[in-house]
Amino acid sequence: MPATPSGGGARPEEASPAPPASTSSASSCMGTRPEELTARLAAAGAGPAPGAVPGCGGAGAGAGGEEVEHERVRALREIKNQIIGNRTKKLLYLRLGAVPSVVAALAEPGASPAALVQAAAAAGSFACGVEDGARAVLAAGAVEHLTRLLAHTDEKVVDASARALRMIYQSRLAPKFDVNSGKNMDFVLSLLDSENENVTELAAAIISHSCESSAEQLSLCSAGVPQKLVSLFGGSMNLRDACLGSVTAVIRNNRDVASRFASMDHGKGFRSVVGLIHDRSPRTRLLACLCLIALGHASPCHFQDKQIKTKLIMVLLELIEEPGHVGDEAPLALTTLIKDSFELQKQALTTNAVEKLSNHLLANPLETRRAVTILLALSELCSKLEESRSQLMSVEVSTLLLEALKHDWADIRIAACSCLKNISRSPKVLSGGRLSCDTVIGPLVQLLNDSSTSVQVSALGAICNIAVNLTPRKSVLLHSGVVSQLVQLSKSMDAMLRLKSVWALRNIMFLLSPKDKDFIVKELTLSTLSSLICDSEHFVQEQTLALVHNLVDGYVDSANYVIGEDGMVMDAIARQLNNASAPGVCIQGMYVLANIAAGNELNKEAVMNVLLPHRADRIKPSFVVNFLQSKDKQLRVATLWCLLNLIYPKCETSSGRVIRLQNAGVILQVKSMINDPCLDCKLRVRMVLEHCVDNADDCFISGKRKSVRFRSNICPEQWNMGTIFGSGKRKKSLSHERLGGGGALMMQGRGTLVETGESEDIGRHFGSIRITEPAVELA
Amino acid sequence: MFLSRIVLRDLNSIDSPASMASSKKVVTRDEWERKLRDVKIRKEDMNRLVMNFLVTEGFVDAADKFRIESGTQPEIDLATITDRMEVKRAVQSGNVQEAIEKINDLNPTILDTNPQLYFHLQQQKLIELIRVGKINEALEFAQEELAPRGEENQTFLEEIEKTVALLVFEDVKNCPYGELLDVSQRLKTASEVNAAILTSQSHEKDPKLPSLLKMLKWTQNQLDEKAAYPRINDFTTDALEDPSI
Repeated sequence: MPATPSGGGARPEEASPAPPASTSSASSCMGTRPEELTARLAAAGAGPAPGAVPGCGGAGAGAGGEEVEHERVRALREIKNQIIGNRTKKLLYLRLGAVPSVVAALAEPGASPAALVQAAAAAGSFACGVEDGARAVLAAGAVEHLTRLLAHTDEKVVDASARALRMIYQSRLAPKFDVNSGKNMDFVLSLLDSENENVTELAAAIISHSCESSAEQLSLCSAGVPQKLVSLFGGSMNLRDACLGSVTAVIRNNRDVASRFASMDHGKGFRSVVGLIHDRSPRTRLLACLCLIALGHASPCHFQDKQIKTKLIMVLLELIEEPGHVGDEAPLALTTLIKDSFELQKQALTTNAVEKLSNHLLANPLETRRAVTILLALSELCSKLEESRSQLMSVEVSTLLLEALKHDWADIRIAACSCLKNISRSPKVLSGGRLSCDTVIGPLVQLLNDSSTSVQVSALGAICNIAVNLTPRKSVLLHSGVVSQLVQLSKSMDAMLRLKSVWALRNIMFLLSPKDKDFIVKELTLSTLSSLICDSEHFVQEQTLALVHNLVDGYVDSANYVIGEDGMVMDAIARQLNNASAPGVCIQGMYVLANIAAGNELNKEAVMNVLLPHRADRIKPSFVVNFLQSKDKQLRVATLWCLLNLIYPKCETSSGRVIRLQNAGVILQVKSMINDPCLDCKLRVRMVLEHCVDNADDCFISGKRKSVRFRSNICPEQWNMGTIFGSGKRKKSLSHERLGGGGALMMQGRGTLVETGESEDIGRHFGSIRITEPAVELA
Repeated sequence: MFLSRIVLRDLNSIDSPASMASSKKVVTRDEWERKLRDVKIRKEDMNRLVMNFLVTEGFVDAADKFRIESGTQPEIDLATITDRMEVKRAVQSGNVQEAIEKINDLNPTILDTNPQLYFHLQQQKLIELIRVGKINEALEFAQEELAPRGEENQTFLEEIEKTVALLVFEDVKNCPYGELLDVSQRLKTASEVNAAILTSQSHEKDPKLPSLLKMLKWTQNQLDEKAAYPRINDFTTDALEDPSI
């Protein structure tokens, strides 16, 4: 039904739809049209005005002050009754400029309590739920007046002012209340001591609002506010809930305050909150859980008790069944509780959280906030545990997820993508059944075109992980048209979209056939690649270099992508390496160079030119030396590998390179690292030095030389759970080397695994070594 | 009910495979009534239950009388009940505007923080206009007040459509959505109002007596699986019906 502009269509003298307002003196034709009311209010505010107010005959000139006051009260009350609950009317009155008159009534020295009550209620209502309303009320100076009125003799005025102020302080535009000032703190404390519950609830609202900085939280803590709040837990339900919320705000993310709270009064405060998680009122239970969760995050050492954590999970799972707001928000609380915690996710699994949440999800329509929060909770439950992922993948839930990907609500689409992203961290869950990579990839690719950026980002995350699990069957992906979409998004203005699309391409690129690699490079173009390497965001640079790393892995020819075409990409890499970029960028860059250096002479020379450019100025030391001196061991290792590949296998040109490196002070630097604290580095250092010696000596111990290849692998969160795809062997990645021949040669780092050739020479490892770690990264 | 729970507990402790396999345990009427007599309940607890019911449902006079006769203290100040009851009465008699104004006098934050309640009150207002045949006013009201609610919140659209559809029919009482004109609709809205006011006053919106009855029903259902015993089938008469053997 189309909305008509308010006020249109009705003739002013027509009786209003509402039954006649309270009987009063002259004006039986008192209009209720907003324009008239606003005018009447303004007129009354200006004092007894001689002019007639339009539409009303009787009252006006000649009537005494009392009559005017009466007028004002009536007008205020009418306005109040029209705007409460009614966003449209609030906006209308705002446009008519009613707010200043309303607030002026609060400032009126001779105002009757009745007028003050109505004006306060109206002012509070304007500030409720309508930003412009809050702004207007604040601009008119309402806070000052209302605060003053808190000390009024008439209890009703105090009530009304307290409620109005509470509305104002709960709005997004609430004014700053500086608790660091002694005067302000005293004021808050006095409010907390009041007998009037409206006033103490106001105090709680002000406190919740004034916890932005840790300094403020500390001030409140030192002034004894948490204790007072806890003592008010015995009050009425609403007051208790308000105080719980305030305690949470005071301790949130503040380790100092949180631990003080936990030990306060020998833990009395803490125990009170714990007791409240079993309260009769669902809302109180939820707020108590949120408080404990905040405490646990801020000060983990005070929250070691496993029992409490289990109880929290159980209470929250029960709360999900509550109707209304509580049931909607309980899953979110659960998500926050278990976030990033393997232990708690495991605990939740044992209490059948996945099953319970799934049942709820299936029992309710999707276009509800509850469905969104439940999906997000399920997503978090699957973030670390394989078993949760399998449990989730029932036929019904799979069907629902597919539906959710196409839903009208953006939030549902985002939540569904988040679920898929975490589910696809598992190598096997998406391998068959209703929900497989094949069925899911189509809808996800569609979402890459979504109108909402958040949805796009979310879909990209899912694709990143699916790409990992599709190795080696990547044809499904490549035929889905995802590559051109990803390439498109890599040129987006939004940095996050660039990051995630490049990330997805990187994961797709891993172990791809040369033909498919070529296809991707042709779509992406080398110039786009180069500009991405020089992106304004370092995390985009890093992912791009990781992409290049995967590109040049495996086949000598692939190095041509980097060196060829005037070496556009190589130049970009060189630029980044020389520019003291972020460590992650440099590490990936060195991996790329290391892999290229494992190729033929041309490749090695190209790398040398980056490391030691033929430059007139020799003043600036090569970045190689800087990298070798880095605190980051990954960077040192990567650089050492690059050097290793440059000077191996032994030959004339290798010797030449050794000399050049020596002249640049690189070898000296390597020598100084002979006792590097990192075992991996130490080993490579020795290898480099041995090769230098060999190149000089022209002799080397012959032994079976075999190409030792390093392959990295997908790594779920715990990197001691190594997986192998393709080769069928399964090895755990270790955190230390096994020096000496035979078996596995491991490299440290996330998810690195090795396929071994036979490397017999004890203590000596020869071979063309390429590094591909970390080749894929889970989103 | 307490008796049935005791019997349940006793039965659980005799949980041997033999007795499980056989038919249910039978409790004769005599045994049952004997056990019933042994269960002790305090009069004060009963009184508080009754008071809680009267006060939550808003029977002020009855509550006051009960207070005088039994000495049981009401958990809410009876004066506040009066305000709440006036609102409820206004809704039940179809004076919605009066109800709105009274709620706002009582606590102006209620309708501002309960969009669903506010919508239902306005919906009721429209229904009342339609009921008395003020079609023009109803149309205007629907356009000015209900339509914006639908714009502000899509979940109301379906109900708005139903209510506005009433305007189309000649014989409203018998049209598809005619039940909206029923007194029961007023009572529904009144109940919602009552609950909102109680919540704003930090009181539980549901009396305890219905919960107890629910528990009784559940306990009997549970016991039915394990025993045959005199059941209460009609809660109003409390008559024990002999077990069918």
